[in-house]
Amino acid sequence: MDVLGDGLLEALRLLVTGDEDTWAITALTLQVSLSATVVAFLLGAPVGTALALGRFRGRRVLLAIANTGMGLPPVVVGLFVTVLLWRAGPLGAFGLLYTPTAMVIAQAAIAVPVVTALTATALQQVDPDFLLQMRGLGATRLRALGALLAEARLPLLAAAMAGFGAVVSEVGAAQMVGGNLAGETRVLTTAAVLATSRGQFALAIAFGLVLLGLAFVVNLAVTLAQHRRQVAR
Amino acid sequence: MSIGCRDLRVTAHGRELVSVRALDVPAGETLAVLGPNGAGKSTLLRALAHLGAAARSGSILLDGQDATTAQLRQAVAAVLQRPVLQRKSVLDNAAAGLRLRGVRRGEARRRAEPWLDALGVAHLADRQAHTLSGGESQRVAIARALAVAPRVLLLDEPFTGLDATTRTDLLADLRAALNEQDAAVLLVTHDREEARALAQRTALLVGGEIRQIGATADVLDAPTDLECATLLGFTTHLPPALTGHQSMLVARPERCRPLTGSTPPPPDTVVVDGVLRRVVPLGGAHRLDVDTTSGTVTAVTTADVPTSPGHPIRIATAREHLRECVPPVPGRVVVGAAGPGAAVRWPTRPS
Repeated sequence: MDVLGDGLLEALRLLVTGDEDTWAITALTLQVSLSATVVAFLLGAPVGTALALGRFRGRRVLLAIANTGMGLPPVVVGLFVTVLLWRAGPLGAFGLLYTPTAMVIAQAAIAVPVVTALTATALQQVDPDFLLQMRGLGATRLRALGALLAEARLPLLAAAMAGFGAVVSEVGAAQMVGGNLAGETRVLTTAAVLATSRGQFALAIAFGLVLLGLAFVVNLAVTLAQHRRQVAR
Repeated sequence: MSIGCRDLRVTAHGRELVSVRALDVPAGETLAVLGPNGAGKSTLLRALAHLGAAARSGSILLDGQDATTAQLRQAVAAVLQRPVLQRKSVLDNAAAGLRLRGVRRGEARRRAEPWLDALGVAHLADRQAHTLSGGESQRVAIARALAVAPRVLLLDEPFTGLDATTRTDLLADLRAALNEQDAAVLLVTHDREEARALAQRTALLVGGEIRQIGATADVLDAPTDLECATLLGFTTHLPPALTGHQSMLVARPERCRPLTGSTPPPPDTVVVDGVLRRVVPLGGAHRLDVDTTSGTVTAVTTADVPTSPGHPIRIATAREHLRECVPPVPGRVVVGAAGPGAAVRWPTRPS
């Protein structure tokens, strides 16, 4: 109990006193995870839309692959990205390994299948005659698609949030491609792992609580924004 | 603006769903396309608007000229069988057609509001669409289509699934609304009362082909062949062997009545002898299925059933209620009433 109690107190102290390291790690965590979520959404949402609306050979197989990818082990992703970015690897010339960019790449790779699969599911849940009706009212293909995406905005938002949840909490890929370098690539999850391995449980709990709070605040902000939009309508 | 088609064929999975050589709906007219389930009514409607993925050939005409998809999008508004509304307020839904055509939100809402009023749902303007009943949703869907002031309005069984009172009220409101427009309207339905209430002309679609077209009253009262007859409620079929007439005669069962024992038939009546097979209660009336030497004949009566199943019965039908049917000729479209219609000619006096 002492460990837990100390952890809570340490967490409060770190946050209230504005501990510089903690805030820097939190800021980097937000920067990396939000960037990865944005990249994953920009890549996954169009693919998910194509899988939901397209009628082409192999569509179901691709959907199954996307669904399977939702459970992609971060360590495996980390391994592949590390190999790609390794000095002698195919993208080694860019010198990205052990940088926040590498972490964004790895985390985006984790989130893309999540966003893709959930986008496809979100659009498939809309009335199957929706696009036909929009076209029947005079919409161009693009406008009809826009109306469809607007109609599915809540589940699409959930897809983005699920993507963020998947990356902000992962540690394997961030550790492997980031290297957990203090002041450079240390994020809340890797910092918590390091503190635990050093027996600094209070600090580890503090990082864990900050991580939980961060995830909660981001999700709450998005949910409230969406709710306000609904009420305004 | 008129809409029409020439040599329109729609196929899916190698099967021909619709084949219409020519169809025209002039501006200001409502044409009902009446057909049984699976006749291709909705497919025809969608093909006319270049909607859906089915393969089609032939041309769609606007004012007699070949129309492109872009031109059709501008001219046409469609109301589907099931109202598909967006997750928005009723007013925003009514304005959605205009918004999809690039009209600014405020302007679109301003132009849509009178149509909510015309369709009797103005008081629901601020409600969220998903809280509406089926009838209210359909009213909003129709208001949404009318708000874009379409030059062509396509209605795909818009009254399906509505209760009788809602349907009657909506029919009246829609008729009034259509009177204010100069659009060419195509109403797809399987209900002849809807056609009678809204359409100046009616086309009968069976098996993807138009069999008969003409003024609604003429078409609904004089079917050309047995399938059209059944579609129009002429479900009592009297083969030549029973009537002595050279063609199949048909009548609505409610025009056929049972005769008791020795009651002499009224003049100018065709009488068929048979054995009562079963009595089907219809709520205030009974349908009598009578076995004859040439198949089953049905009659509907509100009077007491004169006999019980297994006993002889006679069914009488006034000649004025009989219609003559000819076998369908592939590719032939009968215009107006089928042949002599109400005036069935009798080469010999039936026995």
